[in-house]
Amino acid sequence: MKVKTSPIRLTASDRLFYSLINIFLVMLFFVIAVPLWSTVTLSFRPNDFIGTNFEGMFLAPWKWSNAAYKALLGNNGFIIAFANSLKIIFFGVATALFFTIPLAYSLSIKTLPGRAVLVIIILIPHMFDVGIIPSFLMVKNLGLIDKLAAVFLPTAVSTYNVLIMKGFFEGIPVELKESARIDGASELYLLMRIIIPLSKPIILTIGLFYGVTFWNDFFHPMLYLNSNHLMPLPILLRNILIASGMNEFVEVNAFGEAPVQSIKAASVFLAAIPMIIAYPFIQKYFSKGTLLGSIKG
Amino acid sequence: MKPEKRLIPATSTLWREIKRHRAIYLLLLIPMVYFIVFKYIPIWNGQIAFKKFMPRQGVVGSPWIGFANFSEFFNSFYFWELLRNTLMYSVGKLLISVPLSIILAINLYECRLPFLRKTVQTLTYLPHFLSWVIMYGILLVLLAPGDGLINDIIKFFGGRGIDFLTNVRTFPWVVLFSDAWKEMGWGAIIFIAALMGVDPTLFEAAMVEGANSWQRVRYITMPSIQPVIILVVLLRLGKILSVGFNQMYMLYSPSVYSVGDIIDTWVFRGLQEGKFALATAVGLFKGVMGLVLVIISNRMAKRISGSSLY
Amino acid sequence: MKKRLFTVLVVLLLTAALAAPVFAQSAADSGKASGPIDIELWYGAAMTEAGPPPSDWVGYSVIKDKLNINLKLTALPSSEADQDVKISAASAGDNLPDLFMVRREVWLRLVEQGLVAPVDDMYAKMPTRTSVQYDEDSRAFTTIDGVSYGLASPGSIQKNEGVLIRKDWLDKLGLSVPKTTEEFMAVMKAFTFNDPDGNGKNDTYGYGAFLELNNYEEGLGRRLDPWFGAFGVPGTWNLTKADFGLNVRKPAYFDALSFVKSMVDAGVIDPNWLSYKKDDFRAAWKQGRFGIMREQNAAYAATSNYAPFDKNFPDGGFVVADPPMGPNGDAAVGVYTRAFRIYALRDTISAEKKDAIARLLEWMSSDEGYFLIGWGVEGVNYTLKDGIPVADGVPDPEYAFTGPKGQPVTQLRNLVFYNGKVELSSRYPTYVTATSGKTMSALDVLRDFQSRSWVPTIGADTLPPPGTDLKRFYEQSVAEFITGRRVLNRANWSSWVAEFDKLGGKAWEDAGREVAVKNGLLR
Repeated sequence: MKVKTSPIRLTASDRLFYSLINIFLVMLFFVIAVPLWSTVTLSFRPNDFIGTNFEGMFLAPWKWSNAAYKALLGNNGFIIAFANSLKIIFFGVATALFFTIPLAYSLSIKTLPGRAVLVIIILIPHMFDVGIIPSFLMVKNLGLIDKLAAVFLPTAVSTYNVLIMKGFFEGIPVELKESARIDGASELYLLMRIIIPLSKPIILTIGLFYGVTFWNDFFHPMLYLNSNHLMPLPILLRNILIASGMNEFVEVNAFGEAPVQSIKAASVFLAAIPMIIAYPFIQKYFSKGTLLGSIKG
Repeated sequence: MKPEKRLIPATSTLWREIKRHRAIYLLLLIPMVYFIVFKYIPIWNGQIAFKKFMPRQGVVGSPWIGFANFSEFFNSFYFWELLRNTLMYSVGKLLISVPLSIILAINLYECRLPFLRKTVQTLTYLPHFLSWVIMYGILLVLLAPGDGLINDIIKFFGGRGIDFLTNVRTFPWVVLFSDAWKEMGWGAIIFIAALMGVDPTLFEAAMVEGANSWQRVRYITMPSIQPVIILVVLLRLGKILSVGFNQMYMLYSPSVYSVGDIIDTWVFRGLQEGKFALATAVGLFKGVMGLVLVIISNRMAKRISGSSLY
Repeated sequence: MKKRLFTVLVVLLLTAALAAPVFAQSAADSGKASGPIDIELWYGAAMTEAGPPPSDWVGYSVIKDKLNINLKLTALPSSEADQDVKISAASAGDNLPDLFMVRREVWLRLVEQGLVAPVDDMYAKMPTRTSVQYDEDSRAFTTIDGVSYGLASPGSIQKNEGVLIRKDWLDKLGLSVPKTTEEFMAVMKAFTFNDPDGNGKNDTYGYGAFLELNNYEEGLGRRLDPWFGAFGVPGTWNLTKADFGLNVRKPAYFDALSFVKSMVDAGVIDPNWLSYKKDDFRAAWKQGRFGIMREQNAAYAATSNYAPFDKNFPDGGFVVADPPMGPNGDAAVGVYTRAFRIYALRDTISAEKKDAIARLLEWMSSDEGYFLIGWGVEGVNYTLKDGIPVADGVPDPEYAFTGPKGQPVTQLRNLVFYNGKVELSSRYPTYVTATSGKTMSALDVLRDFQSRSWVPTIGADTLPPPGTDLKRFYEQSVAEFITGRRVLNRANWSSWVAEFDKLGGKAWEDAGREVAVKNGLLR
């Protein structure tokens, strides 16, 4: 990942530097890991456990119960909801990148006349959130109510991600683009054959940002979808979690052996699925070729 | 990163420049149509903030009522307090979460123990996925006045338990640091990505010239991710009056309303009474404030560091 | 050339991939021929976690064959706030379904905007249903200026909460069930400091609660209402002719608040109470943290809710107690009102559809509809025992109305239930607990709760709510008086009431009086 083969010997101040880094990271490890561990143990906690969450962290693994995961994964609608979520994340990320990459690339060209105006055009929606009704009217007038497209299209492009990507495209050496242009390459060719291959890490990262947002979006499906067979995972999760908190109608607990708190904790790990799948790929890019290294090397 | 040669085309050559980039404009066509349809039509519909919206008459046909929705917000008994709280958390998170993300990114980048680096990197992004419901559970374990872990420690040393979550003095810190804990690793991803773009030969050159690690961070690492930092800060400033609704809604309670009620929670309680136009009006107000702030700070960033949004 | 072709191809493919779902019709939208009448129904699910009725649910075909109706179901979101948002957004887009469940606050706005249909003519078309579901109170609930704009069915059961005390703790400490506030205080102190569970640790408290507020149970909410009941000021409103008004503006409210403050100061209330959410509170009593609480009958005694407590404390147990009696002899568990669920029709509905809906609802209240919607199919989802549907004896327990496959087919049961004897006996069966072998019945507990002292405030939930700012001022100040951030003494309190009035408290009370008088809510 970095230049580690340097023959230069470490000075005392370098050693202090690296020890401080290690100490910081080790401390951070515990600060993050302990509460996370408590969430993991909470998700596996059996219903008859007596004691505080703190005591729960020391519960032996052979006393764990998978009732919470059973309740979630064994739910009647789980398969359909999971498939809908996959559709949303696939089309959502495809749409998002389809719009974000050309936008970011165009805006990264400093000589483009009208660039500042274009940036302001995409900046304004970032700041103006006009609320539920105006967006609902737009979706309704487009005839998108009760269609999956209504879930991902309105939120498909995030100004934040466009501008982040633009920043990275700007970092690609101008000479590279110029020499290709002189060779007579079209802009589209330049984008597809030079810019995108060079920017895989950032495209993956931004794709992940989009994916995580779509995956966990509860609000838009709730608002725009009516048909039961279109509902994605967050709706299902919410139905399970909220139901467990309703008091007026508690009669039979549908979760059998799983305590409510465990189900909530277990749902965290469902939310993190795209990240858990995508992360190894990203880390590969993160630790392998640095952007400039691959150009020069 | 050198500026391109033809920065400002002369007016006479403007047309030629436009023609030269016609492929780019073509490329921009579809995204721009998207923006108009999906982003600007809702903003246009935002005119219901100035209207008594009647569904049957539509957005355009509903009667105008002027600034009534805005004045309901500005005349709220709690307006200044809401503004103060919102700004307090916005600025606080900018000053705590963002620097922590940057520090984490640099630490991970510089760490020479691959195992430690990978473990911590993988671990730190996970809290982002904890919903605030779960976070509240964790906070209760740590901070509950009766049997919270930290209070147990305080009591062990003979102190008095502190009601962290329901005390106006401690509550803001709980909000700020729980956010930092949750989002620090996620926020660092973008800085780590930026660090991947730093030219390694720069480091070699610096080392050959005898720069120590501290100087390397100071003079190479920081400047090279500075544009990303500025970008992130500017975009956060654009949303300065929207600050973590989900977190606050979960964490606050009547006894800490005076330091916990922010614009978004106030609007939400209005929404529960059906004040949708009020929400839109507040959204417009927040947008104008954000826009002004971005324009000013963008100009400042340009002057000081040379990088800017547009 | 080849490369350009490739790029163009990629772009085209991407566009096609994008376009596909955008223009894809939702599958359910079809068959609009002369056949059965489509009725779109947005219902409140009985058990949101169990999922909607499957597409091959027998109810669909029965309704189609018998009533010539093609029923299209959409489950409303599980939380009330989300339901409000969904319905409000749909109404703004003039996109409401034919028939939908709606909360009264939202419904009121729809009436104002003229978006829901009058239903007065429907009652006569549904004689059976009207006789079991729609009485005078119910019709008053949805009547504005003499016109009924919605069908209000009985909602949750009235007076289904009560004061519970740990009997084993009382016995261990040699105490009897307390009656007055003073006796309660003594018991709570003993529960807190005398180690009632005998574990040698100082980890128990007298009283447990959390803030649970709504428009007719403001201030500190329903979990602390017994203490306000002891001073004659339970709930938000006093709806008597003699003494109408907001309780918070009455002198006795200060005494009640002072008493709760003394509980906090004495440390007998679980110190986490201000931080607890509902689940934390419920987890806490199951772990034996406190000995007195106000809890709901099913949350306390239903099979799966009581099981953890039973396992943790096989020798322990709660008894139902009378609410504490105050210095003037007042006592009340709290206030109750009649909770209704409104089902409304969109105003543009055709006469044909309106008739179809009347037909549908009338059928739902017939014996056939009542059992099919409420429990499913006899012999598959339930069996009858003394006329009461039970889950025992069905061939596949998965399909029992309490099982994971059976629950989805009873999702619409809130449309037919009216808290009658059959339902309650079926919902709350008598059972033997797993660990201690106790005989429990949430129904017996309910009957016991209902026999205790309560203050009726029927219609309090139809009175105007406070403005957003006033509501916050009310809730925040009361909490601050309790935590000591504001000093609670008579002088401070009366100046606070003056401030409350200035902020609109008096105007709120006057608006409430107007509505209460107009609708005849005063007793």
